Amino acid sequence: MGLGHLASRALLRSSRLGASKPSHHLLRRTVVSTPELHNSEAAAAEAQPEPDLPKRTPVAGARVHFPNPDDAIEVFVDGYPVKIPKGMTVLQACEVAGVDIPRFCYHDRLSIAGNCRMCLVEVEKSPKPVASCAMPALPGMKIKTDTPIAKKAREGVMEFLLMNHPLDCPICDQGGECDLQDQSMAFGSDRGRFTETKRSVVDKNLGPLVKTVMTRCIQCTRCVRFATEIAGVQDLGVLGRGSGEEIGTYVENLMTSELSGNVIDICPVGALTSKPFAFKARNWELKGTESIDVSDAVGSNIRIDSRGPEVMRILPRLNEDINEEWISDKTRFFYDGLKRQRLNDPMIRGADGRFKTVSWRDALAVVAEVIHQVKPEEIVGVAGKLSDAESMMALKDFLNKMGSNNIWCEGNGPNPNADLRSGYIMNTSISGLEKADAFLLVGTQPRVEAAMVNARIRKTVRATNAKVGYVGPSADFNYDHEHLGTGPEALTELAEGRHPFYSTLSNAKNPVIIIGAGIFGRDDKDAILAVTEKIAKNINAVRPDWNGLNVLLLNAAQAASLDLGLVPESEKSIESAKFVYLMGADDENVDKLPEDAFVVYQGHHGDKGVYRANVILPASAFSEKEGTYANTEGCAQTTVPAVPTVGDARDDWKIIRALSEVAGVNLPYDSLGAIRARIGTVAPNLLQVEEREPAVFSSVSLRPDVKGTIGKAPFGSVVENFYMTDAISRASKIMAQCSALLLKK
Amino acid sequence: MASSVKYLRVPPNSGSLEEARRRVFEFFKTACRSIPTIMEIYVLDDVVSPSQLRSTIASEIRKNAHVTNPKVIDMLLFKGTEELNLIVEHSKQRHHMLGQYVLGHNLIHDQGNNDTSDFLQKFYKGNYY
Repeated sequence: MGLGHLASRALLRSSRLGASKPSHHLLRRTVVSTPELHNSEAAAAEAQPEPDLPKRTPVAGARVHFPNPDDAIEVFVDGYPVKIPKGMTVLQACEVAGVDIPRFCYHDRLSIAGNCRMCLVEVEKSPKPVASCAMPALPGMKIKTDTPIAKKAREGVMEFLLMNHPLDCPICDQGGECDLQDQSMAFGSDRGRFTETKRSVVDKNLGPLVKTVMTRCIQCTRCVRFATEIAGVQDLGVLGRGSGEEIGTYVENLMTSELSGNVIDICPVGALTSKPFAFKARNWELKGTESIDVSDAVGSNIRIDSRGPEVMRILPRLNEDINEEWISDKTRFFYDGLKRQRLNDPMIRGADGRFKTVSWRDALAVVAEVIHQVKPEEIVGVAGKLSDAESMMALKDFLNKMGSNNIWCEGNGPNPNADLRSGYIMNTSISGLEKADAFLLVGTQPRVEAAMVNARIRKTVRATNAKVGYVGPSADFNYDHEHLGTGPEALTELAEGRHPFYSTLSNAKNPVIIIGAGIFGRDDKDAILAVTEKIAKNINAVRPDWNGLNVLLLNAAQAASLDLGLVPESEKSIESAKFVYLMGADDENVDKLPEDAFVVYQGHHGDKGVYRANVILPASAFSEKEGTYANTEGCAQTTVPAVPTVGDARDDWKIIRALSEVAGVNLPYDSLGAIRARIGTVAPNLLQVEEREPAVFSSVSLRPDVKGTIGKAPFGSVVENFYMTDAISRASKIMAQCSALLLKK
Repeated sequence: MASSVKYLRVPPNSGSLEEARRRVFEFFKTACRSIPTIMEIYVLDDVVSPSQLRSTIASEIRKNAHVTNPKVIDMLLFKGTEELNLIVEHSKQRHHMLGQYVLGHNLIHDQGNNDTSDFLQKFYKGNYY
């Protein structure tokens, strides 16, 4: 074999690859019987060489949703073709193409301002660079993101921004997670030409949560847009023009939104930072743990940032179905309560009424001895509002083995409806609320009961002009609503179709009724639920494709406790109790207890429940244990331990498991896996972590008729103080400041 | 006083189990004789009594009561002599003594009853295991 032969083979190969490609293509598809369909145009399109670019992945996993396939247009980003729906901006097209455009003012969930000019890109046939966040993408647009013009434009914008930005990164709390810092490293110039003095701006007092250093502000107006659009308060605004432009409250005023902490996250610079976190830590020395919030029944996804044994701050985590990327102020700032008032040793109350520290062995022995001295029907167990499903399962199993079935979760009322899951969860799901076009809120003030659900309702009202009707005491809403009445008689009128709001509800395509968990404590609860179900039936709110009858729960433990069947046998059990096991229950009325009752308090905070306790068993808080919580829409999620337990505390389920052994009624599980297997036999939906399992049957069709009559008493407000609802937030100093300064009096 | 233990020689291997046993007793006696020195240099008077320390030594030795191989006994004896030497030379600090022989010893006694389950014993020990 000579050289000539080799060369001819190489030639042959190259010719086959290059020139004869179209024919090769046709040959391959001989199955097609109509070769004329492969006309020259199609062949030419096929033959066009694929751009020699590596396959790109969209920025942050951005996905494109085509509402109408005909509306797809194609644009070219750096020569790479992408298909996007009509109406997307140039910046979004670039994200789909996998190019991250620097930006300060643009935010996915806010309206477009287009005032920072950082997102300038070059578009072919356009005389100037265009601000990509505000420019709609047009078919065939050729976008160039890394040309000299685009780079020069960014460098220029960066220089202007840094002109009036102080050089105080070493003392700035945003340092390390600052967009301005990062982008000036990536796109900025190595020197500036500004020699005059920098401007300075007076700091604003926005309250106890948000610290302002307004000189650092670059006027992106994200915070203003967040406050007006998402939080629904008109507190923040832009004052002045040009170099005198400032962000501020128009008059000396505190920011009184329950979502105000989110402006800290969206601020791209260090102008708005967390006041409690100021100068406490640097973000690179923190350990992030992805966990779940327990301050309300929403189950917001959070990241607990800790340093050593201390929780330093709490940040939101993205979950489109629950909290999007926001969290309420209580969720964000109640963490300092985890350091105060903690119970760290087992204690027994002595004869003199003072607590004495004892060992676990002694404490459990005393409890086990007392529990055997009382009659089984005099044993009562109450799970607290922060309890996880594992410990509630263990408590129920333990008390059942002791012969008692008087066990419930606080907040569920004396006779909860645990039979049908659809009767106590949010059937529409939180993200499903966005499809609704009419709301009826019954005895619930979602703004204080579940701030993230309220944000979702506000989003829907803003987007679709959905109508909101509200029955309950006069309350603060941040969207348009109609106050239909204060008591249940308004519901009767609606059920009979006499009320003017009824036509709005019945004409709605996807009506939603939200019943507050506050009515669980009422005597006429069943009658109210029945009349609400009648309304739901009349307005066709419960259909196979849409379930608009919801209950909005108050506490993190509520849904799981009802799933597990924590229903007391008798309603008056607390009056005759001789042995009470409070598992973190602080809001149960213990005044009605007999004097000689023996109270065991198992929990992490020295709160209300401890005053009456005879024995204290220290347990771990939600940031220290692994526990399953079901939120108000029935989605089970687990917390992850971020910090070690305090002192000699133990996990809740372990305490009950150990106590059961000391008491001689051994529970058959030794590990979290085993106890979850036990939960799976009672409520399998609690094992479907991070996946919402909808209720199968609707309570409307299955519930028996109720004979009770509706009372005259108006609905009360359940949450008196948004900032202090549970043991942790009551121990928090920041929450105390908030309730002193921010609550509307 | 300290010098008497300082130059302890490691003897040649024990020929039989009986010889090893005799050596263990000798070691126990040596250790017991150095207790007053230990009490003095680590200031243990207010936390532990000499008799408690003696029973600690005994229980440390009894931990290996199941060993029957003279070679292994010799090795354990060597390690014990070494430890005793370090203690008497003041190579340790007070908290080492407290942790290993005063508090740790009490914990061992605490677990005396064996009718509790594995779970409960771990539970008493701590939250993490």
